[in-house]
Formats: sequence, structure tokens, C-alpha cells
Amino acid sequence: MTQRPFFLNLLRIKLPIGGVVSILHRATGAVLSLLVPCLLYVFSLSLESAQGFVRVHGFLAGGFGWLLMSLVGWAMLHHFLAGLRHLGFDIGYGEDRATARATAWGTAVMAVLAAAGIAFWVLP
Amino acid sequence: MRNASGARRGLNHWLLARASAAYMALFLPIFFVYACQGGLDYAAWRGLFLPVFVKVAVLLFAVALLAHAWIGLREIFIDYVHPLFLRLSLVFLFGVVYAACLIWAVAILWSLK
Repeated sequence: MTQRPFFLNLLRIKLPIGGVVSILHRATGAVLSLLVPCLLYVFSLSLESAQGFVRVHGFLAGGFGWLLMSLVGWAMLHHFLAGLRHLGFDIGYGEDRATARATAWGTAVMAVLAAAGIAFWVLP
Repeated sequence: MRNASGARRGLNHWLLARASAAYMALFLPIFFVYACQGGLDYAAWRGLFLPVFVKVAVLLFAVALLAHAWIGLREIFIDYVHPLFLRLSLVFLFGVVYAACLIWAVAILWSLK
């Protein structure tokens, strides 16, 4: 019998890229789910009056608002793209090893690039 | 008790998670293009949500988002929260919070005239 290492040391576990994209899909989904009531509050504030709109706009235009929108933007993009990848699996696309690795890299890289594009070109 | 957490409910959740994802994936780019037509001031932002078909489409988005979020969180609780009472309490709590969010979304959208 082969001796296989058994450990759950998170610092030593090396996930393949598909595993990284998958756990980030879950983590971003959890964070976005918890943010829903906050986003709804901001939405209601922005619509209830002109002063409310100015308050929201002022907050989002500030440094902390920029950071928050960039991070939430990345989370949405990653969750969105990884979700499309999973929908592909559901209909039988990209299940072989090479394609799955390629789409995983594509998801992770495109989410970061698109989020960087939004953070440095769209938001300022 | 066969149907309390039976396989059919799992299939329904699985299907609803995908259907809501499909609606959001179609809605978000279309709404983004629609929202970019106007300027970035209060009147323009408010005006986006005045047509009834926009209210309905945005409310459907809220339904899809809340259902999707609830199913996803439930999945996470099933994986990581093992004490049954705590797990069911969390699933119930988020069900109540998200149902309240849905009613709140209706109130926000239909208070605009």
C-alpha cells in the first residue's frame, strides 16, 4: 500500500487552477450574498431623494468607495465568469482536462484584467 | 419524511440556481447599456426606473438574485455547518432576510412616480 500524505494544512495544500477558480467562485458568492441587503440600502438611498443620490455618489467617488467598488466588481466578474464556465460543464462543454484548465486560467485572468480595467479606466 | 429534503428538491434548487443565473447574465449587460444612455445625475438615474417594463425587469432581477443567493448560501451551510439546528436556523434566517429584501425592492421601485 502506498503511503499518501494526509494533511489539511491550508498553507501547504496546492490546489490546481480549477480548484482555485472553484473555491473563489464559492467565496465571492458568499460575500456577494451577504452584501445584498447593503446594496439594496445604497440603491434605495440613491433613489429616494437628490440629497440621497449626492450622498451615495460622494461616498462612491471617494477613495474607500473606489476600493470597495473595485473589489466588489472583481468579485462579481469572477463569480459571473466562473458561473458561465460551470454552465458550460452542465451542457457538456469543456469537461476534458486540457480545456477545463484553459477555461479556468481564462476565468481567473479575465476577471482580474476586467476588474483592473474598471478600477483604473472606468471609475476615475 | 421522504420529501423533507429529498432528491427532487435538490434538483429544483439546482435548476432554479441556473435559471436565475441565466436571467441575470442576460439582464445585466442589457441594463448596463441602457443605463449608459443617460447622464450621471439624480434626474437621469431616477428616470431609468420610471417605465413599468423596467420596474418589472429590475424586480425580476431582484427575485433571481435573492433566490440565487439563498440557494448558494444554503449549499455553503450544508457543507460547513454541521449541527442541524444551527444549519436550519441559518437557512431560515436568510430566507426571512431575503424575503424582506424582496418586499423592500418592490417598495423602492413602486414608490417612484
